[in-house]
Amino acid sequence: MKLLNHALKLLLAAAALTATLVVPMTSAYAAETLNVYSIWPENWARPMLQEFEKASGIKVNFLRFSSGEALARLIAEKGNPRVDVLFGGPVETYGAGVKEGIFEAYKPPSAAALPARFRHEGGMWTAIADDPLVFMTNKKFLADNKLAAPTSWNDLLNPAYANMLQMADARTSGTAVTRIFSILEVNGRNEEKAFDYIKKMRKSIQTYTKSGGGGTLPVGLGQAAGGIFFIVDALDTKAKGYDVEISFPKEGIGSAAEGIAMVKGAKNPESAKKLIDWATSPAMQSLYAPNKINFIPAHPSVKTEASLAAILKDAKIIPIDDEYAGANRKRIVERWVQEVLNAK
Amino acid sequence: MSSTSLSPHSPASAAHRDPFFASIILLLWVLLALFVLYPLACLFGRAFVDGAAISLQPLLDVVNNPHHRRAFGNSLILALAVGIGGTLLGFLFAFTAVRGGLSRRVIGFIDTATLLPLISPPFTISVAILFSFGARGLITYDLLGIKGYAIYGFLSTAAAEMITYFPIAYLTLRPILASIDPNIENAAFSMGASRARVFRTMTLPLSMPGIANAFLLLFACSLADFATPLILAGNDFPVLPTEAFLQITGQFDLRGGALLSILLLVPAAIVFFLQRYWLAGRSFVTVTGKAGSRSSVEILTPPMRFALFALCGAVSIVVLYFYALLLFSSLVVAFGANHTFTFKHYQVIFTEGLPAIRDTLIIAAIGMPLGGIYGVVVGYLVARKQFWGRQSLELVSMINYALPGTIVGIAYLLAFNDKPMELTGTAAIIIACYIFRYSPTGIRATIALLHQVDKSLEEASESLGAKSSTTFRRITLPLIMPAFFTGLGVVFIRSMTAISATIFLISINWTLVTVRILENMTELSLGPAAAFSVLVVAIVYVVLFLIGRMLARFRALEGGRVESILGG
Repeated sequence: MKLLNHALKLLLAAAALTATLVVPMTSAYAAETLNVYSIWPENWARPMLQEFEKASGIKVNFLRFSSGEALARLIAEKGNPRVDVLFGGPVETYGAGVKEGIFEAYKPPSAAALPARFRHEGGMWTAIADDPLVFMTNKKFLADNKLAAPTSWNDLLNPAYANMLQMADARTSGTAVTRIFSILEVNGRNEEKAFDYIKKMRKSIQTYTKSGGGGTLPVGLGQAAGGIFFIVDALDTKAKGYDVEISFPKEGIGSAAEGIAMVKGAKNPESAKKLIDWATSPAMQSLYAPNKINFIPAHPSVKTEASLAAILKDAKIIPIDDEYAGANRKRIVERWVQEVLNAK
Repeated sequence: MSSTSLSPHSPASAAHRDPFFASIILLLWVLLALFVLYPLACLFGRAFVDGAAISLQPLLDVVNNPHHRRAFGNSLILALAVGIGGTLLGFLFAFTAVRGGLSRRVIGFIDTATLLPLISPPFTISVAILFSFGARGLITYDLLGIKGYAIYGFLSTAAAEMITYFPIAYLTLRPILASIDPNIENAAFSMGASRARVFRTMTLPLSMPGIANAFLLLFACSLADFATPLILAGNDFPVLPTEAFLQITGQFDLRGGALLSILLLVPAAIVFFLQRYWLAGRSFVTVTGKAGSRSSVEILTPPMRFALFALCGAVSIVVLYFYALLLFSSLVVAFGANHTFTFKHYQVIFTEGLPAIRDTLIIAAIGMPLGGIYGVVVGYLVARKQFWGRQSLELVSMINYALPGTIVGIAYLLAFNDKPMELTGTAAIIIACYIFRYSPTGIRATIALLHQVDKSLEEASESLGAKSSTTFRRITLPLIMPAFFTGLGVVFIRSMTAISATIFLISINWTLVTVRILENMTELSLGPAAAFSVLVVAIVYVVLFLIGRMLARFRALEGGRVESILGG
């Protein structure tokens, strides 16, 4: 019985401890800190933000989310935001964020040097990189089926790929939305033709994955034959040692700008501006190559790394028109859900 | 020896007689209002209130959408399959462990294998199944030579969920089966009843409350699970939690996601009431305060014992194989591409991953005792006391468990982001989420155990003048210790492994290992993800071992009386 009493007291003590531990946890952050949601994966965001800490002396706390989750959080936290900056992520995400009113306008000095598709007119976001899509296929699968890597959108309709393609779900992934707009562009923005093609390709889809890079590991392992991914994810798969081939369709493929923006009501606006200034300038973007991050720098004065440039040399890249995509995004995704995803 | 000399048979007035009891009920209602009802109200507000007007039109739109109706049907089919299959599997395991006459070592082996799915992040089994049975799976392609096997769909999802959740049924059923005195079975047997008849007329009915509880728990687990379908269901078998999750995270549609989750509440409530009604008319008393000494096992013939053991052994080996795969991928450079041995993934998690490990441990250590107490107190009050709103209290305590975690997470985020209850960014919000979401296992285990213990034990104590607090502490608590430790264990395990709700509650200040694992998986860093998972499994094993030691000490102190509940 004594032991029971003992245990009860112990548990009550634990409860009391909770109270004492939790109260100080709610206190405010230290003075020179900056809080960031990153859509870039940690292995890319971490080295960049560490360099910023070194350069500025500002302590950065960051947390990584996929674009949809980051956006859902920022919307839920509207009015009392927990972070100051949204870092990385495709331009569609920023377009949706502008509509939700979660960003504060700020034009960094570098913005003037950028082409129009790399900055929001009102200064709500600015691009830090460019990220084209690619076809990525498993080499063993190609060899087994005596196929060459696909060089046309129509190559993906080959029956050999039946039930063997994986790519992202347009409801969650910016990669998928960029893919659909790519198909629209190569079909001259003729929606009927584009959807006709997408529906044909649907028959070869094993599964649509939640995140843009979700299919890269299955393709690397040969569980899937191939898919359409951002070049960063594809090159990362290759760098890990998976035997995959990267190719481009001759008709062209889309590219999405990666953005940065200040959150409305940011508690550390001055530090936030410093990070945005730094990230949009050559100071950060010249670090992509040494860190093996295969984004194309957005700033015109930073050269694309040689091996990346070589891969892109003959590729026909179509910049995704921000205005057209923004205006039609919601409708196109809904149509995709109704006509493609739910098609039996 | 105060005012409690009133007749114990007028329990309706218990609250008036006993201020301790009344204040506990009040405290529970305050907590439930704050951490279950208020967030839910915020969520409903978001779903139905448009400006100043309340509109049901959005709900009608959701119900009329054929795609959502299909997802609803799929969710029910999946939950039924997992509920039935998982309970059956859990029962077989529990029966084998309790009645199989197995050596301690064999039981230890089975315990180890069944605990593994419980103590690892939910998607580990899914990924292992994908690697083993996918188009280029180790088993389907390499072993059996099947090309292009289509893994995605109902079958793989149901199998993964069954393997993930059946240990809950095992944990729930084992103490129940153990508490059925084998002497009763043996008595019937020696009086000429056939084995089948003994099983059908004694063992099965006596374990019915446990079976019903296990089914309810698994049904709710499957209904709320989004991680497994996300990886394995593919596009032709959409289920509601995944659709709700995608609606929120993908289309930034909080309202749509909230509405879909409200649909999920309907089957959860139906099962809950069915189970209550079903249990209400039966008596399951086997513990009467008299100890029954253990006797030799006669209910099973040796061939039956062997068949049961072979089946459990086979399932255990499959589970162990899945985890060997996990351990392997944590120790090689890149699974499937470069199988050079390395410790670098562990280096990564103990440097960059250290804050997540620390935060997770602090949160789990605080949540575990609080959740254990909460579960036992609620379970005890519901099973033993008569008070106004008893059934509502039980129902409300189950809500967060039945709801998809994504929705609970979003509801908490909506409710606790602003004053008066500004909790986002704290550890408190994560702890509260775990306690109110994962204690129902402890609640149900307590209720199931108390259904088997005759009330006269406590009534005797109260009629002798003990206060309800004293009776609870000295009579009931020792009786329900197994349920307490079940609840304690489950809260700790879930604090270490859950993700669906808390992915929305982590913050700059407090992050969790499971979130890091999911991040690593999406970043193609399978190695660190596997290393994190192995670490989680190791930590939980150590803690469960310590809990087991505690339990063993209780048993030694309380002697045979408690042992008849705990079983071997």
